[in-house]
Amino acid sequence: MEENITTAEAVEVVPSAAVSEETIPQKKQRKPINQQKLMDNIWGWVFCIPLIVGTVWFVYIAFVLALMLSFTDFSMSKGLWDVIGNYASEVDKFASSVDHAGHGGAFFWYAQAFTKTIDGSLTNLNEMGAYLLNTVVYLIGIPIGMVLSMFFAVCMSRDIKGGNLFRVIYYLPCVASTVAIVYTFKIMFDSTGVINQLLGLAGDEAGQGAFIWMATTGNAALTWGTMTGSNSTSAFMIDPYWCQGLFTKLVIIIMAVWKGLGGTIILYAAGLAGVNAATKEAAQIDGANGWQIFWKVTMPDLYPVIFYNIVTAVIGGMQIYMEPVLLVGEDYMTSGYVSLIWNYGINGNGNAMAARPSQGAALGMLLAILIFVITMFQFWLDSRNKD
Amino acid sequence: MENIQTETIAVKESEISPFRNGLGAVLAFFGFSSKTHRASKKRAKLVGDIFTYIILLFGSFLMLFPFWWMVAGSFADTSIQGTGMPILRRMVWWPERSTFQSELTGISNPFVNYATVFTNAFPSINKELTFWRALANNLIYSIVPVVIGVITSASAAFAFAKINWVGRNAVFYFLLAAIMVPGPSIMTTQFVMYTELGWRENGLVLIIPGLFGSIMTAFFIRQFLFGLPTSIIEAAKIDGAGYFRIFCGFILPLAFPAIMAQGLLSFMGCWNNYMGSFIMIPRNSLWINLPHAIALLDNDGNGAYANNYAVVIAASVLCVLPVIILFAVFQKPIIQSLMLTGSKE
Repeated sequence: MEENITTAEAVEVVPSAAVSEETIPQKKQRKPINQQKLMDNIWGWVFCIPLIVGTVWFVYIAFVLALMLSFTDFSMSKGLWDVIGNYASEVDKFASSVDHAGHGGAFFWYAQAFTKTIDGSLTNLNEMGAYLLNTVVYLIGIPIGMVLSMFFAVCMSRDIKGGNLFRVIYYLPCVASTVAIVYTFKIMFDSTGVINQLLGLAGDEAGQGAFIWMATTGNAALTWGTMTGSNSTSAFMIDPYWCQGLFTKLVIIIMAVWKGLGGTIILYAAGLAGVNAATKEAAQIDGANGWQIFWKVTMPDLYPVIFYNIVTAVIGGMQIYMEPVLLVGEDYMTSGYVSLIWNYGINGNGNAMAARPSQGAALGMLLAILIFVITMFQFWLDSRNKD
Repeated sequence: MENIQTETIAVKESEISPFRNGLGAVLAFFGFSSKTHRASKKRAKLVGDIFTYIILLFGSFLMLFPFWWMVAGSFADTSIQGTGMPILRRMVWWPERSTFQSELTGISNPFVNYATVFTNAFPSINKELTFWRALANNLIYSIVPVVIGVITSASAAFAFAKINWVGRNAVFYFLLAAIMVPGPSIMTTQFVMYTELGWRENGLVLIIPGLFGSIMTAFFIRQFLFGLPTSIIEAAKIDGAGYFRIFCGFILPLAFPAIMAQGLLSFMGCWNNYMGSFIMIPRNSLWINLPHAIALLDNDGNGAYANNYAVVIAASVLCVLPVIILFAVFQKPIIQSLMLTGSKE
């Protein structure tokens, strides 16, 4: 509808402009329209100015500054405008300094992100790789949540009483504070906690032999034994990287799925309500059973909703930070990639003056590139699917 | 169709074993058609509904149980060092040693954990900080930026949906492209920027950026405004109303459902904005928000209340309760607005 109106107006405007150029006496009559157009232009911009200013200031300028800072040795003891003011010389100084010259020059922070290994027991582990692996592991929650929420959404879309009440109940975790939820889950998944009690994994009265979901031993290597209480001495079970914080990750995935389920259910329920009823009925008359109707009629109709959901969920999932950190604190076995940005860029391992916002910015740029590539890849898959 | 009784299909009786026949009858009773018996549609629907209810009720239990656990945990008596924590850690439905058992615990006030939240808990983080201060901070952070931000977003949405101006589409895509920039990527630069501006210690960092509106909110309100007839605006224009009057007099009231729903959603987002406070506001500042203050009570197990955990849980309940109430009251517009997202995209 909107399109029609704009094109109609455009058609109207073009001949009038042509006429007004040729015949000067008519120009006066056309003046109100031009004034209207002027008002349109002025007010259009005026109404948008706050949002434009906010976006440019807090997103685009911040992004450009982040890109610029990532090639310098900026720290909190320096003034931001001093560094930006003498940008060329700062970059030059940074690139040619003794530590950086042979290690990437101006790209030192980027090079370091790829080469730095973790200080600790597993010395050969690439730090960025470890944190990135954690982040990617948490993405497993997305397909699990999608299947579950599709299942519940289909249940709710049946013609039953109280469907709306269920929607509200399932959405409650979404509105609750993550801090409160994490602290609740922290005790619920304790070795003697309610989950283990209900599953019969709580061990004896004193909690001996209980299954440990979240073993927090700082940077020391977690083994299968410390997590599960088993006494296995096989090399595979003692110090393999694969089981570092494995069950903590599982708890976080469970928590993320639990918390995010409601939002996805509502999205899918809306999609299901919008599926063409006539097509469904036609399929039913043609002898399709419920299962076939779901896969052949409903799912193709829901595809845009599912695709939107996957794209946003992956973008959000790549930025996971709070949940693992609140649950067990920062460590390379469970924390997401954003922890690196926070720790190097702002926290400075506890000493804010030693923090390197430029290093954080470089890590952030890598994250932005990664998210962009993943999103583009999804859109590419989508476009290939359509052919 | 009317009778719920199952009807036998005319199949040669001799070919079907009695067992098969019986199984078919039982299946038909539960709404499943088979070779021998066809279940009535009504019965199939009834059985399907019962299954659906069982599944949904079980799911609801899973969704609600952590909330119940939180409420129950806030009444656990964990004040005695050493013996306190196991009570919470072993709790399944209700604490073994709750604050209601005054003869056992010697606690006269069953809401003692909540009383601690109101009195002693928050000063352990910062001498001058109280629960009410953190709550007031939270209210400021979630009301001021949201109310003003949603209006600025709505005004931008109005310009995008209903005003024809040069560069409209270019500006729209320029703004929409900004959501491609992940927050954590520019986190450190924003941190530096806000430090330079001096917004971090006084909480302005959680207020000012929100005043300018958000792109996603503007985007959703724009979608809603497309559904409003343009003829209203044309009529108002002919009557001599300026765009500002049209916006205040027509757009804001007409789009109020969408604006309110978006406002409520961003209110909840700001209320729970732990990360913003945690990253930007120094932990010894008086301007930390409520989730941040609760996190500092525990502080990775090093906080003053890391061992008297029922207090942390009680504070969590107090943090979750307002948004739950708000959501319960306004669930209809919120869910509708969320569903609009699902159907539009």
